[in-house]
Amino acid sequence: MTRWVGAPLPRKEDARLLGGRGLYVDDVARPGLLHAAMLRSPHAHARIVAIDAAAAARRPGVHAVLTGADAAAVSRPIRPLIPTPVPLPDWCLAVDRVRYAGEAVAAVAAVDRATAEDALEQIRVEYEPLPAVVDPEAALRADSPLLYPELGTNVLWHDVFEYGDVAGAFARADGVLGERFGIQRYASTPLETFGAIAEHDAGLDTYTFWTNDQRPGLTLAILADSLGVPQSRLRLVTPDVGGAFGNKRRPAYLLVCALLARRAARPVKYLEDRLENLAALMHACNGVMDLELAYRADGTVLALRVRDVADEGKNLVSPTQHNLIKLGNIVNGYGIAAVSYEAYSVLTTKCPSGANRGIGKPFMCFAVERAMALLARRLGLDPAELRLRNYVGTGQMPYTTPPGAQYDSGDYAATLRRALDRFDYPAAREAQARARREGRLLGIGIATSVEPAGTNLAAYELVTGRRAASGSAEAAMVRVEPDGRVRASLGDPASGQGYETVVAQIVADELGVTPDDVHVERGFDSATTPWLYLSGNYSNKFSVTDVGAVLGAARAVRDKIRRIAAHRLEASAEDIELVDAVARVRGAPGRGVAMREIARTAYADVLGLPPGEPPGLEARHAYQNALAQPVGADRTVRSQLVFSNAAHCCLVEIDPRTGQVKIVRHVVVHDCGRELNPRLVEGMVHGSTVHGMGAALLEEFRYDADGQLLSATFMDYLKPTALDVPDIEVDRLEHPSPFTPLGAKGVGEGGAIPAPAAVANAVEDALAAYDVTVRSLPITPEQLWRWLVASKEAR
Amino acid sequence: MIDVTVRMSVNGRGVERTVSPRRSLADFLREDLGLTGTHVGCEHGVCGACTVLVDDQTARSCLIFAAQLHDARVVTVEGLTPPEGLSALQAAFRDCHALQCGFCTPGMLAAAHELLAENADPTRDEIRDAIAGNLCMCTGYVNIVRAIELAARRLGASAAAVGAQGGAAPAPPRRE
Repeated sequence: MTRWVGAPLPRKEDARLLGGRGLYVDDVARPGLLHAAMLRSPHAHARIVAIDAAAAARRPGVHAVLTGADAAAVSRPIRPLIPTPVPLPDWCLAVDRVRYAGEAVAAVAAVDRATAEDALEQIRVEYEPLPAVVDPEAALRADSPLLYPELGTNVLWHDVFEYGDVAGAFARADGVLGERFGIQRYASTPLETFGAIAEHDAGLDTYTFWTNDQRPGLTLAILADSLGVPQSRLRLVTPDVGGAFGNKRRPAYLLVCALLARRAARPVKYLEDRLENLAALMHACNGVMDLELAYRADGTVLALRVRDVADEGKNLVSPTQHNLIKLGNIVNGYGIAAVSYEAYSVLTTKCPSGANRGIGKPFMCFAVERAMALLARRLGLDPAELRLRNYVGTGQMPYTTPPGAQYDSGDYAATLRRALDRFDYPAAREAQARARREGRLLGIGIATSVEPAGTNLAAYELVTGRRAASGSAEAAMVRVEPDGRVRASLGDPASGQGYETVVAQIVADELGVTPDDVHVERGFDSATTPWLYLSGNYSNKFSVTDVGAVLGAARAVRDKIRRIAAHRLEASAEDIELVDAVARVRGAPGRGVAMREIARTAYADVLGLPPGEPPGLEARHAYQNALAQPVGADRTVRSQLVFSNAAHCCLVEIDPRTGQVKIVRHVVVHDCGRELNPRLVEGMVHGSTVHGMGAALLEEFRYDADGQLLSATFMDYLKPTALDVPDIEVDRLEHPSPFTPLGAKGVGEGGAIPAPAAVANAVEDALAAYDVTVRSLPITPEQLWRWLVASKEAR
Repeated sequence: MIDVTVRMSVNGRGVERTVSPRRSLADFLREDLGLTGTHVGCEHGVCGACTVLVDDQTARSCLIFAAQLHDARVVTVEGLTPPEGLSALQAAFRDCHALQCGFCTPGMLAAAHELLAENADPTRDEIRDAIAGNLCMCTGYVNIVRAIELAARRLGASAAAVGAQGGAAPAPPRRE
């Protein structure tokens, strides 16, 4: 019985956040708190000849100074996720060499941020500039400048995967469509920047961190390793988090705070300013993809051949994830039987790459959906019809793709048809034809995508050849307090998704109470929250693992309540139901014990427990989704676990005088399985879609040839405002997943993945008369103007 | 730099502090007065997260020095929040799911408050225009626009109800 799951409840979080009573990391007060600032390299690539920080250390108000050399003397390098052929030590501050403009070389802790920043001006660094390498294809070349000469190359990973009879498919094909696509660097740029407070208790030799880091499990491992401290002496607390989207991670900054705090014997806070956030936290990989698609004359796509170069910047912490995730999703929603995939993961002298809403899949979708649009044009087919001919069918579910992903459920054709219906596609085409006759540039773009949820870390074995972490799992706690009230906590700190509300809905259903009765702890506290190395707010995993952890804990508590009630009522535990905070005998509502009374028994009157029943009324549960499996002998793997899907239809109008693209309408139909709270799901779809629109039209971290970032403020790095995006129209289908605890699937990324492709397809459609091919993003007014001028000159 | 003493009204209460001339209003509110509801998102006046009301007009608290505001009236999100429960605008934000992470919300509320004070019945385009200086990375703005529309409708309906009962409709707050 689910009374609360599925209900569009308003959020429990909202009252405090609306009243300015949230607690973000910058709001955390600690006695004696110092503020840190970091000195950052002005060069993209340089040798550090000398650093003199003595004058800074002498300034009034300065309590501690740390250079890279200092950090190297008292900490260990950050453990890389991907072991390299030779060790490439990566400390929390640059040592000997800087490898991107904005890399931190020294840090100061002072009484306030302004004093700390003043002190940075007193640090003298002597650099010997080295040549930058900005373009990933250039970084591949043998004569390229090297970030790590000891590695002998900038290539961190290169491999070729082949699944199915690719050569045969290409030989049999009626045609081959080949194209080169590119993707720019962009990021979700949560409005709250990344930061942390570290406090060292010299008496206990323990460290406490308050941070908006979104992967506490992994970060705790790195902190312990680098500080040389047992994990039992570390505590990490996550308060309210002002958005994350994958970006909120940088263990190095926590380490800097910890080392400064130990030196100063006072707690130290560091919070990025926006320039530091845009220049140095993380960007989605830019890159290029050469894609060949073998097709039959009827439009059936037989095989894909891909060569993908992902530009990791200076990322030693988590490289290759964009490649792996693109590989795992490369056939998108289509029944393409054969795939060849060549992957390069390349270092350049730019900001480290990292997780960003959809990791790699927006580019996968851009390339595949652009190719589908081009194929439709070539074959004279309607782009919707071409897709309908190629989808994995409902009869094939669950369907295993060539690289090993398992599409669990959904009706991709029905999703697209619903979107076309909501868009009123035939009428839109007629309106477009009329507008064209008037000389207006209207375009319609369709893009559809799969949206996976839950990452199986075993997939990294494809890169490293060995298994370190694997699977997909989370942990939760449910406790009925001695007064009968309910508390829950989760190892996944929310960053705006509304987990306090949804977890309360799930627990309320299991315990026969209301969501108002369930207090869900804010964020994460490693001292009290159950957690795993795999814990965190990433990979869309809530529906796949977190729900299972919460359900498992709630059901263990429920079962114990039933046993205690059955003992009290001299009934069978199977006959006890929990309704309105009373455990009562099914069919005899008069016979019951209030939850408060059960709790009193469990905690206080323990002689009233059934024989052998331990006191207390609390359960911790860790859940792993069984879909995750090791890598197969044929190098197939379920790198991600369950698959939502979405179809986007976009109408744009281009002003040829200004090159401005206006998104007139944008319809999203999505299917994320069972919706645990439809109100929150819809909000997620809106926001995610706008992330994709920003990538399509506005956002780019643009570097010059010397590796200087040219768009490092929100004046140059443009985010969508309320005037740039339309009222997104959302509809949904609900095909529950057979493989998640409540049938729910991921929903955080289904807007961000197909929206760039949908907008790009619409722009290209609007420019049909100009014979333009959209190969890269963002489609800026400048780009539009260049296309229009080039087209005129060609005539 | 010589510290200066500044006196102003913050959320209806008189405050007097001696501050460094370079202390921004945002830091003054957050650090000196402990009003952490005002958030800082970019420190260069673009994102709007730090928006507060200064003499009834929206202002970027990251771009003003506290020392500039002698005798000014400053209202932050804390001042827009009733002692119990939520204002009509805040309730509409909750009812429309117009916030996710909540970081932009205090600034959005200030912008929406100013709009509704000036224009009791704004169109959708007017709402979008009014919040165009406030970035939200979570909601895609759709539900924020809906919430402001709903708040306007509710405030208009309650004003009309008061009018129908024969009482004078409360005058909307006006700029001086």
